[in-house]
Amino acid sequence: MPKAIDDWQGARSDSAAQPQMRTHVKSVSAFRALYEYAGPYRLTFLGVIGCTLLAIAADLLQPYLVKIVIDDHLMAGSQDYGTMLVIAGVYLALALGGLLFTYLQNNLLQFAAQSIIAAIRKRIFRHIMSQSMSYFNRVPSGSLITHVSSDTEALSAFFSQVLLSLLRDGMTLVFIVAVMFKLDVTLTLYCLCLLPVIALIAVSFRSYIRRTYQMARTNLSRLIAFTAENLAGMGLIQAFHQEKEQQSQFLVRNRAYFKANIREVRSNVLFNRSYEILGNLAVAFVTWLGGKAVLGGGIELGVLYAFITYIRQFFQPINNITQQWNTLQSANVSASRIWGIFATEPEVKDAPEPVVPDESQVKGKLDFERITFGYAPDQPVIRDVSLQVRPGEMIGIVGTTGAGKSSLIGLMCRFYDVWSGNVRIDGTDVRDIPQQKLQRMIGLVQQEPYLFSGSIVDNVRLFDESIPREEAVAACRLVGADALIRRMKDGYDTRLTDRGSGLSAGERQLISFARIVVFKPKILILDEATANLDSHTEQLLQSALNYVSRGRTTLVIAHRLSTVMHADRILVMKAGQIVEQGKHAELLARRGYYEELYRHSQGRHTG
Amino acid sequence: MHLEIDRGIVGLCEKGERGAERKCDKLKPVRLLLDFLRVRWYFYLLGIAIITSANLFYAYYPKVLGSFTDTLKRGELTGSSVVDYSVQLMIIGLSYGILGGIGQFIIVYLGRSFENVARRRLFGHLTLLSEHYYSKKGVGHFLSYMMNDVTAVRESLAMGVNQTTNATILMVSAVAMMLSSDIPLYVIAVCILPLLLIPFIVVKIGPVIRQRSLDTRDALSRMTESAEEQFAGIRVTKKFAVEDVMNGRFGDTVDAIRDRQIRLIRVSSLFQALIPFLGALSLIVTLAFGGYHALHGTITLGSFVALTLYIRMMINPLQAVGNVINSMQRSRASLDRLNGLFATLPDIRESDQAVALDMGKAAIEVEGLSFSYPDTDSESLHDVSITVQPGKTLGIVGKTGSGKTTLVKLLLRIYDPPAGTIRIGGVDVRDLKLESLRSGIAYVPQDGFLFSTTIRENIAFYRRDSDLESVENAARLAQIHASIAEFPDRFETKLGERGVTLSGGQRQRTSLARGLIKQAPILVLDDSVSAVDAVTEKRIIDSIRQDRSGKTTLIIAHRISALKHADEIIVLDEGRIVQRGRHEELLKQDGVYRALHAIQEEGSRVAQGY
Repeated sequence: MPKAIDDWQGARSDSAAQPQMRTHVKSVSAFRALYEYAGPYRLTFLGVIGCTLLAIAADLLQPYLVKIVIDDHLMAGSQDYGTMLVIAGVYLALALGGLLFTYLQNNLLQFAAQSIIAAIRKRIFRHIMSQSMSYFNRVPSGSLITHVSSDTEALSAFFSQVLLSLLRDGMTLVFIVAVMFKLDVTLTLYCLCLLPVIALIAVSFRSYIRRTYQMARTNLSRLIAFTAENLAGMGLIQAFHQEKEQQSQFLVRNRAYFKANIREVRSNVLFNRSYEILGNLAVAFVTWLGGKAVLGGGIELGVLYAFITYIRQFFQPINNITQQWNTLQSANVSASRIWGIFATEPEVKDAPEPVVPDESQVKGKLDFERITFGYAPDQPVIRDVSLQVRPGEMIGIVGTTGAGKSSLIGLMCRFYDVWSGNVRIDGTDVRDIPQQKLQRMIGLVQQEPYLFSGSIVDNVRLFDESIPREEAVAACRLVGADALIRRMKDGYDTRLTDRGSGLSAGERQLISFARIVVFKPKILILDEATANLDSHTEQLLQSALNYVSRGRTTLVIAHRLSTVMHADRILVMKAGQIVEQGKHAELLARRGYYEELYRHSQGRHTG
Repeated sequence: MHLEIDRGIVGLCEKGERGAERKCDKLKPVRLLLDFLRVRWYFYLLGIAIITSANLFYAYYPKVLGSFTDTLKRGELTGSSVVDYSVQLMIIGLSYGILGGIGQFIIVYLGRSFENVARRRLFGHLTLLSEHYYSKKGVGHFLSYMMNDVTAVRESLAMGVNQTTNATILMVSAVAMMLSSDIPLYVIAVCILPLLLIPFIVVKIGPVIRQRSLDTRDALSRMTESAEEQFAGIRVTKKFAVEDVMNGRFGDTVDAIRDRQIRLIRVSSLFQALIPFLGALSLIVTLAFGGYHALHGTITLGSFVALTLYIRMMINPLQAVGNVINSMQRSRASLDRLNGLFATLPDIRESDQAVALDMGKAAIEVEGLSFSYPDTDSESLHDVSITVQPGKTLGIVGKTGSGKTTLVKLLLRIYDPPAGTIRIGGVDVRDLKLESLRSGIAYVPQDGFLFSTTIRENIAFYRRDSDLESVENAARLAQIHASIAEFPDRFETKLGERGVTLSGGQRQRTSLARGLIKQAPILVLDDSVSAVDAVTEKRIIDSIRQDRSGKTTLIIAHRISALKHADEIIVLDEGRIVQRGRHEELLKQDGVYRALHAIQEEGSRVAQGY
């Protein structure tokens, strides 16, 4: 399967060709995230609970004060205005307390929650970054981004909404039930009979609501994706006069989103109204039961009155909590996904007892010994290849797409591990060298240089502040990029945006050469580094290339033979094997595969 | 050029609307919402009526409960009246729940249907806008119209109607009942005073909360962007082993979110606590002031109790009023933006006298064409004249920025050329029907943009119902058939984020097949094979030569190998034609072409320098 071969250098992999990796991690509840990370914030959480209790108390005591005024003063016909003012004063104090504690509770909780989310986000990112290259080829970058942004957002919503509601509404509920018990045990028990009904409604609606919610979300993201793509390709749509056709495709998606939405709205309204109705029916129920009890002399009038008030308050917190159900569910799904990431181990691992080479002593001698390798089982793309490269030698590798050129490089950089055989640098198996060291020993320049958003100088030193600015500037001078950079608005501090879209492909490549000069790898690999360029920039690049390859073992992969004609040795690859090797003239004289390739390319140049 | 476009818009406006320029701006705007309301107003009326009736039912609730308590107090309760009261409460509860639910559903449904209609109209409008707008503002900008602004208007439409209806009824009934009681007006006024701060505070703090939550959103999207960038550049990061540095960069964006969230919660929690506090303040005043009057017998005990109840009743509607005001303000801005977009008239329009043309035997004539992009001073093309006879092949070569692509965009009328400068079959392209212009020319752009659908649908983009055989033929011509045949789903293979991602060369070749299948009288290749290797390029050029024999073909390239067979080659440099002729002739001349050829032949060898 040739298309899989140049995978690791492609911008994104063709992940659909292989079954999507579904990590079978058991589902993780959002509470586990809380449990694992709450440790350092134990005191803060205690403070939150304390404040919540105080805030609820201050809240619920306020009506009680009004009751005192009515029953003990106005009803009793007292004329003591002074005490009433005192009560008003207490009321004010309670109200202020409520204000303060609600405020504190919210702030403390959010502080702890946001700190935890930040920690989780950093950990996910670090963990993803530690994965091997094959992971990035297999998992679409879109889904990685989803983990970092949406999934953590869902967890964040868990903290800011679910947890808050559980604390506040849960405690209020407990408080109300306690008061109800105190008022009348039998009546309370009757009321608690409603709980199974509430549970039934919640359970029966739960999965339905969740389904409708997710359908609406899926339809929305489809609509957004479609729109974004069509706006991006609008020029093309117009050039092909396909406006009508694309409009009608848009209509289909727009309509589907509308329908999914209406379903979601309908189920939500139905759910909330069922609750509402249940609450009102409960009042009717209590009136009936209580009225009969009063008639029989079972309870007092005042108790019944208070009871009716409380049963109505009883449903509010339950309703609030159930409204959090969707949020909790998506937080659970997200937590499962996040912990699934945490459970993923990098496929290429450092040896338990690594050999740490002395960086200044690296010579750059390469040995490939009988290596075999493939991306999919039973489909080797490199078959039993052996190769020795002397320090400082320049090797050209040619062959058609899919011959195994890039795979060879991938094995050397340990993006993948060989099936059998070994790759050695200065006699040390690459698998014994710590990956960080190995990567610094080998420099790789690819066809599409990647620039980060940031200043030019930072792009050259890759944001590593320990590398002095002067060194980055010097590197740019050496590769001949200095004049070009100085012409820009802010010189070396010019901020690149959108992956360096302001620069031409060749100029971007020059910057990636400067990186090589700064990081000083002993071995240099150029993978189609000068292909697909404007002829003028190509010339500029060639002299830069000339500079960076000096004193380094250099491997050059090229489609165009002219690029490698002057190499010390040219390897010709075909179907995963080295079929010919030697100098340009020798290979031509042999009249083999190389000569055939050369004829094609010559035909291209001179007709 | 730019001025001309502007004048065009104004001119059409005046012609169409018979009014000043201002009026023209104003006329379209209101339409999006007004058009919708004009058709659906009776549904809104129905919804409001149902919600009102539900609330009226609910107003009986305290009354029935009160009357029940009074009966209890008087000791006149009997077994049958208990049942009576319970049944009454039940009926009220059911009616309120059901009617309220229906009313709410109708209003929300209408909101969603507004959203649906608005997006449909918006998308239709966006397909009319030319590349100029997209390149100037970016796709994200227009996507935000489509998503955020439409949603904002819909939300405030649904929420506004629902909450305003509820709040109005509640407040009106509370005020009416207070006024009809024996409580003196000034007592009511004094007790309510703190409550009146509520809408004021909502309107004051609301926007601050909104701003801070927007800041938080910004920080979030910055983190997402950072993650996107880091994952896209993972190869560089891994290869230079700078993971730690990149972790640090990402960490900064994470910390920014946390800080903004905390800033947001500071003001939003203050807001949440402040509203009940004002309610409590009102009750305190009632206790002190109303209590004083109750003690002195100015008002009855019953009125005092009622007063406290009504005050409680007013808190929520007053808050709702504030919310509605805020949401209206937000959506007003969104609505203005949307209407502004609708007011933008497409700059490429078919004239009323546009003619259809069969381009089969049409020559392309470019005469004295100079052009600069809107909003720029420098000319991209200067005094360019070319004639391509039907069936001939023209090659255009030049370095990046020399004006090659601009020329094609003008030919396709993606931008408008000056009148009379480009003619096809003797007709100014500006007088051609867009349909015949764009179906007569098959255009293959350099970037190989493909849609996230099947390969087959991508290739058959021009005519979706093309049979598989012609799709396969086009793929064969473009030398992509073999690659596609290797996918398990072959031509039904899905592309895009959820499917296969093709390499740059494969994308270009698929895009080429999409152009070739059109079998158009004129084919334009805009550096369409730049990412394929030399051997494949040669094969493609050969098969195109064969396929296009007798048909007009324009090939743009920076690699000479792709166009040296052309009947005429023009060399563009900084927007001017500096050389023209056949390959062999040009090689003989001392000029850009020969230099270019030399570089492409020798460039790599020279620099290898060993």
